[in-house]
Amino acid sequence: MRGPGGEIVSDKLLFKDIDEPGLATIDVYKRRGGYQSLERALKCSREEVLQNLMDSGLRGRGGAGFAMGRKASFLPRGTMDKYLVCNADESEPGTFKDRELMQKSPHMLVEGMIIAAYAADANRSFIYIRGEYQQQAEILERAIQEARDAGYLGERILGSDHSLSLVLHRGAGAYICGEETGLLDSLEGKRGNPRLKPPFPANQGLYQGPTLINNVETLATVPHIIRMGGGEYAKLGTETSTGTKLVSVSGNVQRPGNYEIELGIPSREIVYGLAGGPERGREIKLWFPGGSSSPVLTPAELDLPYDFDSMAKAGSMLGSGAIIVVDDSVSVVDVALKLAKFYRHESCGKCTPCREGTNWTVKMLQRVESGEATPMDLDIIASVQQQIMGNCLCVLGDAMAMPVASMVSKFRGEFEAHIEARRAATGLGAPLAGVGV
Amino acid sequence: MSVARYDHGSRIPGWDDAVDLSKDPAEVPDPATMPVPAELRAAIEAAMAKYPDFRSAAIPALHAAQDLHGWCSPEAIEQVACVMRLTPAYLTAVATFYDMFATQPVGRHAVYVCTNISCSLRGADALHSAMQEAAADDPDFNVRAFECLGACDIAPMASVNGVYVGPLEVSDAETIVAQLRAGEDVLPEKQLLRRACADPGARS
Amino acid sequence: MPRPEVRMVQFSIDGREVQAPEGVMLVDGAKYGDVEIPVFCYEPKLGQPVGACRMCLVEIEGIPKLQTACSTPVKDGMVVHTQTARVREAQNSVVEFLLVNHPLDCPVCDKGGECPLQDITFGWGRGISRMVEPKRHFKKPLELSPLIAIDRERCILCYRCVRFSQEISEDYQLILHERGAHSYVGTFDAHPYVAPFSGNIVELCPVGALTSRPYRFRARPWDVEGAGTVCTLCPSQCNVELTVRDERVLRVLGRDHTEVDDGWLCDKGRFAYQAVHSSERVVEPLVRDGDALRPASWERALSAAASALGKARGSVGALAGGGTTNEEGFLLQRLVREGLGSADVDSRVNGPLPLELARALAAPALQATVPDLEFAHTVFVLCTEPVDDAPILDLRIRKGVRRRGARLAVATPRPSSLDPSAKLWLRYAPGAEHAFLAALAAALGAAGDVDALCALADADPKAVRALADLLNEDGRGDVVILWGERVGAAALPALLNVAARLGLGEREGAGLLEVPCGANGRGLREAGVLPNAGPGLSDAPAAGRSAREIAEAAAGGQLAALYLLHVDPVRDQTDAALWRRAMSRASTVIAHASFLTDELREHATVVFPAESYAEKEGTVTHPDGRLQRLRPGIGHPGSVRAGWSILAELTRAVSDRVGNTDTKEHTSPLTGPMASAQLFEAVPFYAGLTLEEIGGRGVRWQERAAAGAFPAGPQGSFDVGEPAAAPSPSGGLRLGSFRSIWAAPEVEHAPALKFLARSATVELSPADAERLGIENGERVTVSADDRSVSATAALRGNTPAGTAFLDAGLPEGGASELTDGTPTTVTVEHAAVEIPA
Repeated sequence: MRGPGGEIVSDKLLFKDIDEPGLATIDVYKRRGGYQSLERALKCSREEVLQNLMDSGLRGRGGAGFAMGRKASFLPRGTMDKYLVCNADESEPGTFKDRELMQKSPHMLVEGMIIAAYAADANRSFIYIRGEYQQQAEILERAIQEARDAGYLGERILGSDHSLSLVLHRGAGAYICGEETGLLDSLEGKRGNPRLKPPFPANQGLYQGPTLINNVETLATVPHIIRMGGGEYAKLGTETSTGTKLVSVSGNVQRPGNYEIELGIPSREIVYGLAGGPERGREIKLWFPGGSSSPVLTPAELDLPYDFDSMAKAGSMLGSGAIIVVDDSVSVVDVALKLAKFYRHESCGKCTPCREGTNWTVKMLQRVESGEATPMDLDIIASVQQQIMGNCLCVLGDAMAMPVASMVSKFRGEFEAHIEARRAATGLGAPLAGVGV
Repeated sequence: MSVARYDHGSRIPGWDDAVDLSKDPAEVPDPATMPVPAELRAAIEAAMAKYPDFRSAAIPALHAAQDLHGWCSPEAIEQVACVMRLTPAYLTAVATFYDMFATQPVGRHAVYVCTNISCSLRGADALHSAMQEAAADDPDFNVRAFECLGACDIAPMASVNGVYVGPLEVSDAETIVAQLRAGEDVLPEKQLLRRACADPGARS
Repeated sequence: MPRPEVRMVQFSIDGREVQAPEGVMLVDGAKYGDVEIPVFCYEPKLGQPVGACRMCLVEIEGIPKLQTACSTPVKDGMVVHTQTARVREAQNSVVEFLLVNHPLDCPVCDKGGECPLQDITFGWGRGISRMVEPKRHFKKPLELSPLIAIDRERCILCYRCVRFSQEISEDYQLILHERGAHSYVGTFDAHPYVAPFSGNIVELCPVGALTSRPYRFRARPWDVEGAGTVCTLCPSQCNVELTVRDERVLRVLGRDHTEVDDGWLCDKGRFAYQAVHSSERVVEPLVRDGDALRPASWERALSAAASALGKARGSVGALAGGGTTNEEGFLLQRLVREGLGSADVDSRVNGPLPLELARALAAPALQATVPDLEFAHTVFVLCTEPVDDAPILDLRIRKGVRRRGARLAVATPRPSSLDPSAKLWLRYAPGAEHAFLAALAAALGAAGDVDALCALADADPKAVRALADLLNEDGRGDVVILWGERVGAAALPALLNVAARLGLGEREGAGLLEVPCGANGRGLREAGVLPNAGPGLSDAPAAGRSAREIAEAAAGGQLAALYLLHVDPVRDQTDAALWRRAMSRASTVIAHASFLTDELREHATVVFPAESYAEKEGTVTHPDGRLQRLRPGIGHPGSVRAGWSILAELTRAVSDRVGNTDTKEHTSPLTGPMASAQLFEAVPFYAGLTLEEIGGRGVRWQERAAAGAFPAGPQGSFDVGEPAAAPSPSGGLRLGSFRSIWAAPEVEHAPALKFLARSATVELSPADAERLGIENGERVTVSADDRSVSATAALRGNTPAGTAFLDAGLPEGGASELTDGTPTTVTVEHAAVEIPA
């Protein structure tokens, strides 16, 4: 999506027509070419549609970045009930792209789900939308009803052998329900505790049946892949990060918002070019490339291409594609504490390292914040993060441990200086001579 | 003995509570002795019909009960339990897990101020204080700090009875309270639904 | 359902090559190589592992992340490390995390010394603490129920207790509130956690968070000894370990036996031990002296009993209660038959059981086992409420449904607590088992008009046909019928026809499993405590009177003496008034009892102090044919003597009197094991058994070669007879009854359980209550003819209209006051208003 001169051109997939008045209604959506991909898909075999999804190289847009087509191909064949679940529990701090999609172009998601269900041979589908997205839920509910009335949902869709029901399910406020197995438990009417894996949802997911779970953006991309053809879609982006991606930019930037970019463009172009960079006179101190769970990067790393592999190579991750920018007016201690408190609040409590580790980390960071800690406590904080990482039932513990560990290691000096300053300011005693500085 | 407290000052509920030995064990309420409002029963039964396993309706049913009772009171939970043929404890376990269910009485105007990272980078903590101050002791208001509401593009922001508004100034707090009291639409010009996409390429 | 086949796989752990059964989790597989992997949340009894505590992380070659050994099945060729630096670091970390909020108040903790958290911290912890932040503190201990205290500071949130409540007992009263580090265990709105199996959570808790209130601070682990025996408070006969200190039972723990109890206990079994040490217990012989019973020496009591019985020779009726051992039963029938020349001895409730039916029902091929309940394709619960009648079987049925996909059908007059788990449940009129089973047999293809028979039973013919289809399943599935003895003799031919139609005798995992009214009902019948059968269900030398006939004869003056062995017939039999008349009219009443009842106080000639099960030696027979051994855990209190020795001495004494040397010679067991040996010799299908063979796990006689000696019953189709119609309510209500798990003297005499003791409750449908103007909780009078009891009305949405269900098994004022054992109708009305003086 670059012009001959290298300039970004407005060649959008998901955001094309996104602000078109009335796009949320089926009439306008269809006038803009909506549901043509579905008609085309239903004329192909399930295998052909699946092949297109595989060919597209589309990687999940929810955070883990797993190849969507492959995941769909894992579902066993057979006559049992199979489920497609759309993960619309967008709660990773800094992420708000699915919200804009559902609110403005709900039919794109519905159409994508019908096609994906066809490819995976699923006959029941659910959208699990976070409870806070009340307005978006109302919009989606209307769209689903319109789709049902138009014969896109229900028995033998458009005369094909594909039948699909779609139920919109509202959550009630729990970050952990964005974790796919926590989401399944929640959808089954339980506390949203993640499950042990294996078994993986593809084999035993919702109601113990084979289940495909995908993020909103992933599913909304499906109609575009069918329209363009998987191979053509794969030409966008880089070899291992194909296609376009919605990036939510927030924090200390001048133009926070969602931007659709082609994967692989320099990160700097997103942060400065699109979002306008920090306020005048401010410098970027650190940035999260993929939501608050991703290890923080420094301004120097803004020159890296924004794609799955480059972020991973830099020790972080693309995650949900949420860039949070923190400028130099902010204390890194505050950021770390804020984050740790968030994860403590959202830990489901099922497994020990996450439940106790987030809790302990908050307590330690509070002592850092108030100047009661010593540099040795920073070592313990770092060590505790190591104890959490990889030892938990799901990724929530790691989601705190990774960014906190990265902050403590990359900004150790600032942490120590903060402790010293607070000690001095609150009269906790003279600076600790020669300790760790 | 010092009592552990939430950051916002309330005691962690439940931890220090013994059971009341004069009560009977809480089994599935018997329909013969547990009246349930007809509209609530209808809403719960409709929700149960939507899923292959009726238990999936627990969250929708609790939403319905909370809408009716203002909070997930023991009575509300018992009514849901009676219709769903579950124990009230099952539903309590669910209700206390999720942030949006109130298991203590709350004001009818829910004002959730996002104080997570992106909003706090843009002044959410001051906004939250202002909001609390504006609502003061009015029992009609349920002002609380909330984790990321998924609207960092309008940071700092709040969800006012489910309507997202932002970016907010500290001065908006008074307006929000006044408008809610007057039964007016809250900050129409700042409502998220009216906001255009930030991506310049999306503007055709 | 075929049980999973066991195949061995080979894997390597810490450099050792180990063989373990395929599919077991690594935690268990490691034990085959003597490697211990620490766990907190893992407990296979609770079902699928949850992987929550993360204590069992191990390294498996080829998998980058550490894996939880509790949830990873062993596979051929797997290479596992539990001692590497990485694993140690993870173990240290988890211990450290668990102690972040644990108070470490071990010196004042009841669990100290038997605490997995202590042991694992010692074995797998880092040995130092880096946590300097203040720990959370809360009030403690708090009441969770009258039986259980909770200390939330100590809780490590392993989920075991809530999983038990939710997935094993399925009472779903105990839950986690809130989430994350704020999670805590509790109940809904401060209601106490009171449920039939609640005590198991104390035993499951791996820390001192859940403790037994009756046991708290009674002993340290090193003060006590464990004594294994069998609980005989109900037919489940769970294996238990008594915690004994200074000849007192202080606690009862499960002694896991998969074939019997699956490792669980009900609260009656767990806490009723207190009745053993009740101050009201009879601990010395009592002999009538005018109006009162007075303590007497053994010599005096025995001679008084022998003399009174000797006088009544040929006119003695004897009844044995459910807690009687096989040996006591065997000796009782010999005392009565050979020593006292009477044929009137019974151990059942109500009328006689034709011998050919008894034999047909007990035929080895037709017997299902307890594990069969779990592995059956379909379990059919008939005329019994397992949670009341044999509680531990309730858990087994739920396990089959939940974990093995067993299909459950329930047919009972009263709504069952298993209904919500059942594929199908149906109701018929109380006492209409005969017509109902005839209808079911007809629906399965036997002769008879389904609709007409259903009309007699007031059952829905559509439901009966659906039940037949479910059970039949084209003849493919294993069906286990769990039936209550209360089905009644008249209905048994039809039950046998149903069993034959379903091919229960021909299938390995299928069969009948009876829930007898008495704990050792099966054993007593096999020992010969039946009016028409001697030991081994042999033909009795002379036909005698059944329990009800004994009462009628005594009340009518045809029997001079009653011998009551561990039984309170007023409470346990169906016609309280008749038994009161019988006891009052009989000139001699000899009883073995732990507690005096009004009737004994008034009418007993001699009362021998009865042993509690904690003191007993002998054997009992489980409903599925497993002989189990009772072993004394404590000495006899007071001057209590063994029941078998009293019976043996009495036999000797009465034989002396009549000079019957034959009897004297072989009725003189001098030790408990001798009594057992005599029993094994007398019952052909027990032949060759020894106490050693029975051992600590018991042995099913059907699985021994001697089972071939079982007397064959009649084959083929049975004549079902003419079922009577259920009485028409005609303005009144049909009377149904139920005996709660808590309607037992042990409950009333155990201080901890007293709060659960039943008082009369009558359950009414909302429609009947409205018609009668009766409100929930109101005091009402329930009357039949000229007899009435007062009760508390309880409205139940699922009680069938037209029927009232009244508590039975109460010390007084229960359903047995109103019935003679046949179906009857009652009226229910407001209790007369008492005008305050």
